[in-house]
Amino acid sequence: MAEDHESMSPTKIGFGILWPACWTAIVVKSVFAVLLLTMGLVHFEGTFGLAFVMLFFSPVTVFSIPLIMAMFGAHFGEGIGLEILFWLSIPVDIWALGLVARTFFLERLRKEPPDALGLAIWWRSALVGAFFLPVVWGMVSFVTDNAMTASHSMAEMESLRHITDTGLPVAERISLELTIWGSISSAVLIALSLIGISILGQIIRGMAIESRPASENYQGLITRWDLMRVPTDQGLLFTSLAGVGIVFSLMFWSILPVTTPHPHECCKKPDVQVEPVLKPVESLSSSAQRVATLAAQIEAMEQQKVSTKGQKAKAKGKTQGGATADSTAKTKP
Amino acid sequence: MDSKHSSPATIPDHQPSTIEKLVAFLDERVGLKEMQAKMLNEPIPGGSRWAYVFGSILLFIFAMQALTGTLLMFYYVPTTDHAYDSTQYIIHDVDYGWFLLGYHFWGSSAMVVCVVAHMSQVFLWGAYKKPRELLWLVGLALFGIVITFGFTGYLLPWDQRAFWATTVGVEILDKTPVIGDFIARFLKGGPTPGQMTLSRFFVLHVMILPAALMALAGLHLFLFRVAAPAGPFSGTTEEIKAKTDYFFPRQIWKDMVGMAFVFAGICALALWEPVVLLDQAAPDPGEYHPEPEWYFLFYFQLLRLKIFAGEFGQFLGAVALPVAFMALLVALPFIDKDPERNIFKRPIALISWIAIMVFIVLFTIASVINREFLD
Repeated sequence: MAEDHESMSPTKIGFGILWPACWTAIVVKSVFAVLLLTMGLVHFEGTFGLAFVMLFFSPVTVFSIPLIMAMFGAHFGEGIGLEILFWLSIPVDIWALGLVARTFFLERLRKEPPDALGLAIWWRSALVGAFFLPVVWGMVSFVTDNAMTASHSMAEMESLRHITDTGLPVAERISLELTIWGSISSAVLIALSLIGISILGQIIRGMAIESRPASENYQGLITRWDLMRVPTDQGLLFTSLAGVGIVFSLMFWSILPVTTPHPHECCKKPDVQVEPVLKPVESLSSSAQRVATLAAQIEAMEQQKVSTKGQKAKAKGKTQGGATADSTAKTKP
Repeated sequence: MDSKHSSPATIPDHQPSTIEKLVAFLDERVGLKEMQAKMLNEPIPGGSRWAYVFGSILLFIFAMQALTGTLLMFYYVPTTDHAYDSTQYIIHDVDYGWFLLGYHFWGSSAMVVCVVAHMSQVFLWGAYKKPRELLWLVGLALFGIVITFGFTGYLLPWDQRAFWATTVGVEILDKTPVIGDFIARFLKGGPTPGQMTLSRFFVLHVMILPAALMALAGLHLFLFRVAAPAGPFSGTTEEIKAKTDYFFPRQIWKDMVGMAFVFAGICALALWEPVVLLDQAAPDPGEYHPEPEWYFLFYFQLLRLKIFAGEFGQFLGAVALPVAFMALLVALPFIDKDPERNIFKRPIALISWIAIMVFIVLFTIASVINREFLD
């Protein structure tokens, strides 16, 4: 055991810190991702898996993503939320790397963790990633493209055509081609990833060499290591986490669209005008008022009609009177 | 007790709060504190680990599936006339219905993934070995129930995807010798999937399978507590002893974080790819190429190989191969009697697991590529 922590390989150190740190951070990052997805600020389309891998390994991908997008035209999703997510990932990654690295230094390397260890590892890993990952991306893409072409040509070889009358059946051909190019590109990806992890491990080992050896016995180290992982005040931790959970739940349900944000062509709703809400008392009083107004109007109209009739009759009487007088005068001998 | 020390001037009488009174009331009647101690004070050899979270996560996913499933049942109508329309109604008209259905849909996939992860962990840790054989067998039965949950739930929306996936699935079951015909007739309830099929799948999905899962999960937990956790497969006695801890609080915190992550993951998937139905189920597939749910695609692609064509080939691929694989899993703790649990000292086990995982990934991708040749 004593010689084990002295002679630990850089790959083992790099993997031993990066892997648990990524898992520790992804829980917090996934909560942010869900909120941003709910707000409709991120759209992954068909790249959900790739975007998840990039977010998962954000301690090394955070600065390399813009470079990969610019250099290779790669697409991880759309929306301002994607940028926000990677900016939010930075403090989360620093915290996770610090937590994991401190316990790793104590338990596995038996060294006193230096101050600001999380930040120190984060900026180094982000820098290594910014240079190394575009190289990995380019090389794996190049190898995959060539391996696909080569495997395609192999499957169409005349010698294979002779095995069966019509050449290889579709399912067999797909499996064969996929096995060939998949194995080659996976091997290249794994080899380059191991080199990258080893570079990180080398950097962390350099930091460990400069650190003081831990003075306690193994049981004492484990106690310190354990207390680093879980705070002693369980009640406080539970209350604060429950509070954060409630706040996030309220935020989630308040911003979640009530109806589907992806309406199907078959089920588009017709534009329906919303009817005003019926308020019985107001409706009755306004109706009564309207009836009264109308009744008054009718009464006024009737009065007007009567007066008009009277005036007409008067005028008629006058006219008739005049006419009778005239006719009487005319008929007088 | 000395009267001097118990005088009211020095130590005031402790008045129990309402919660303390309630706890005392329940404790007196159901033994609450003893139950709590038994549940939380389980020693975990070598301490808590992230690898142990899958069992608790599975229980959490099941609880969420039961909750979302119950809410969906308020609106879903299990008849061939209304199943499709009621599902469309859930998606397009019910408040948050689209999200609940999406969560339920992706939750079923998460359950399959977590079952496979849990089984892989048990296999790699050698935790199926003596004295945990029964625990492994009950776990396999639970795996079967989870897969059946997925199969029966797939038909319920009654669209083309549901109809044809069920038709293909029942046809595969039909090829089982002796009992195949009975199972197929029992599930379909007629020559083609119809009302009887939908009713039977619905009853299986919402009544029989949940009851069976709850009963077997209870038995699984009981056997787990009797056999005790297996602990890590490597490490010195000094290391394991130094790290040994109780279930509460370390493992519980890990389980809760795991549950939160899975919950966020399912929510993200429901938001990313909500459920969209195809056309209503019809006896003519039209342009649709029948295929099962994504976690069965590898097997579907395997059956496309020429070796599995013809009467015998179909029997070999559809029945003999899966039955032989399941039989091997059942017999595993009785065949592998070597007490060595370290996976790096069990090369056959390690290589077999890697080969199976590579096969699943390879054939799933091949199945997706194969779609281009069908369209």
